[in-house]
Amino acid sequence: MDAIRINVNKHRWELILLGLIAVAAAWATQLSPYYLESGQLFNSSRNFVFTGIMALGLMTVIVTGEMDLSLPSILAVCTVLLAKASAASVPLPLAVIGIFLVAACLGAVNGLLVAKMRLPALAVTLGTMGAFRGVAFIIGSEVGYTGFSDSYKYLGGTLIGETEIPLMLPVFFIVVVLFVVVLHFTTFGRRVYAIGNNANAVAYSGISVAGTKVTAYVLSALTAALGAWIFVGQYGSARGDNANGVILAVITSVVLGGVDINGGKGNVLGVLFSILFLWTLRNGMGLANIAGPIQQLIIGALLIAAVLVSNFAVSFRTSVK
Amino acid sequence: MKKTIALAVALSLVAGSVFASGGAESSSSAKKYRIFMNPKFTGLSYFEVCANGAKEAAKELGVDFVYTGSEQADVQLQVQSLENIVSQKPDAIIVSAIDLNAVAPPLVKAMAKGIKVISYDADTAANARDFFCNQMSYEGAARAMLDCALLNAPEGGELAFIAASPTSPNHMAHIKIMTELCQTEAKYKMFKPVSTQFAGDDEAKSIEVSINLMQAYPNLRGIISSSAVSAPAAARAIQSAGKVGKVFATGVALPSSIRSYLKDGSQKAFFIWDPAMLGYMSVYVAKASLDGTLKNVVGSKVKAGKLGEFTVGKDGEIVYGKPLIFTPQNIDEYKF
Repeated sequence: MDAIRINVNKHRWELILLGLIAVAAAWATQLSPYYLESGQLFNSSRNFVFTGIMALGLMTVIVTGEMDLSLPSILAVCTVLLAKASAASVPLPLAVIGIFLVAACLGAVNGLLVAKMRLPALAVTLGTMGAFRGVAFIIGSEVGYTGFSDSYKYLGGTLIGETEIPLMLPVFFIVVVLFVVVLHFTTFGRRVYAIGNNANAVAYSGISVAGTKVTAYVLSALTAALGAWIFVGQYGSARGDNANGVILAVITSVVLGGVDINGGKGNVLGVLFSILFLWTLRNGMGLANIAGPIQQLIIGALLIAAVLVSNFAVSFRTSVK
Repeated sequence: MKKTIALAVALSLVAGSVFASGGAESSSSAKKYRIFMNPKFTGLSYFEVCANGAKEAAKELGVDFVYTGSEQADVQLQVQSLENIVSQKPDAIIVSAIDLNAVAPPLVKAMAKGIKVISYDADTAANARDFFCNQMSYEGAARAMLDCALLNAPEGGELAFIAASPTSPNHMAHIKIMTELCQTEAKYKMFKPVSTQFAGDDEAKSIEVSINLMQAYPNLRGIISSSAVSAPAAARAIQSAGKVGKVFATGVALPSSIRSYLKDGSQKAFFIWDPAMLGYMSVYVAKASLDGTLKNVVGSKVKAGKLGEFTVGKDGEIVYGKPLIFTPQNIDEYKF
């Protein structure tokens, strides 16, 4: 199958990211003697899982040319709902199905406002970010809930058997494979890219642009729900302000992964490598006790560099013609 | 071509860094204890002052000291920074917890590895630490704040409280005791608590909350907060609402943050303990715990350098207990 042969030119961003991961890992090893230890690496890998899963969902929305700022707020709604369910001794499968349904509805709200009513995505999801966060606070209050039953905490809180591998890690990679298949090998995925490149052409060819966009929003909301399920196991607590402010880290992962913020371009593997690169960087800097503001500075500078390089590459290619 | 250059640069950087002189942290040959201090967040001068005292104690004791934490008051970020600390295999961790339960998992893991955990300023769940250095017994702090309130309004009136969050044990305990004292003790009976609000140690939120309180309770006489962020913020809110003299603010605050309000007469009294000495004491407690000379038994004593001796109370609580009340008369004596 032609799709499997790796086209080096088409994937040079992903290759650069791989190189950057190696550089970051070497830097981290030099910064702290505690970095290169399997227990430490597996333990800190938990820090990229729930944001990474949301990054994959966000990527889908961004490739269609839209934006979703409300993902962490949807996650918070789900965590506090899980808290209510756990307190009421609801069996786990029911609770999980419940939050997936709620998340899908919230995603559909975003999708309908943006795709059907043609409202600007940035403004709409800024509004739903606040509105859903408010809902999470009303349900969850500031008190927070920590008495989750063990079944609820299982996904986010257990290691596989006797190993040091957190259960959420293979779950993360399964989600990555899922998104590779959905975005790169299905009709839906093809439509997502097509709409991001030229929504009008897609509309004229009779495909429902709004339908695809709504599905993208629902898909990303579902990633927030999965993230919430992992979150309660990882932190053992649910509060209205869970994941407040995480949206910046999620967007950074997506944009650094080579996904064009205007839509139509990007690769799931790129986002995966960007997630791993940012994790390596943050882990290394954290172990070296580098102050928070400096970490922000470094990651901010990287983001600017990423956007500059990818823009320069585009203009270089078009001018050389 | 571009891609090749990029890859070549990356690879040479890899090679360079791997062969570069290592030495961020070479293992020291002497058995020096390594103590890490993790505040709620690093962006507050109160915690910086605590750290300065801790550094002084560390120098006196000859232990390695690292002060590190996230710069925002975020529960998940504190959990992550604690996990990073545990990965660096310290001998002891001194921590002030944003949420007493959320920080428990990494701390319990730390204790299982033999790391001593000392909480200071804001306690963690009791099973997640060896000792708690409490700046003031909860009752002592509550009384001190009500005494400050009396200095501001001897005739009494309606009081509102601002805490960081329902899961900050010290703030909630202070409020509970202050409420009880207002009901049971003649000295404080003229005060009537009407509301408790939460502001997450955030200055902007505290100002907003204070303004809302003054609007919701037109007869409000005082706003009291155990948060060194919220008490000065309430004073500022009172000034901007033009209610100086009608409403007072008091509670815990660093002298530097309320000096202007005491000087211009808009406020009359605030209270604190010396944060540097709290940090200083916590390092001595950590070292004594590591040496094995301090056991978690009621009545055990620990000598904390120039501060003298302290006694272990219930549940491993060691109270520093030296309150300082600031008034316009004595504010200039304090430089922090």
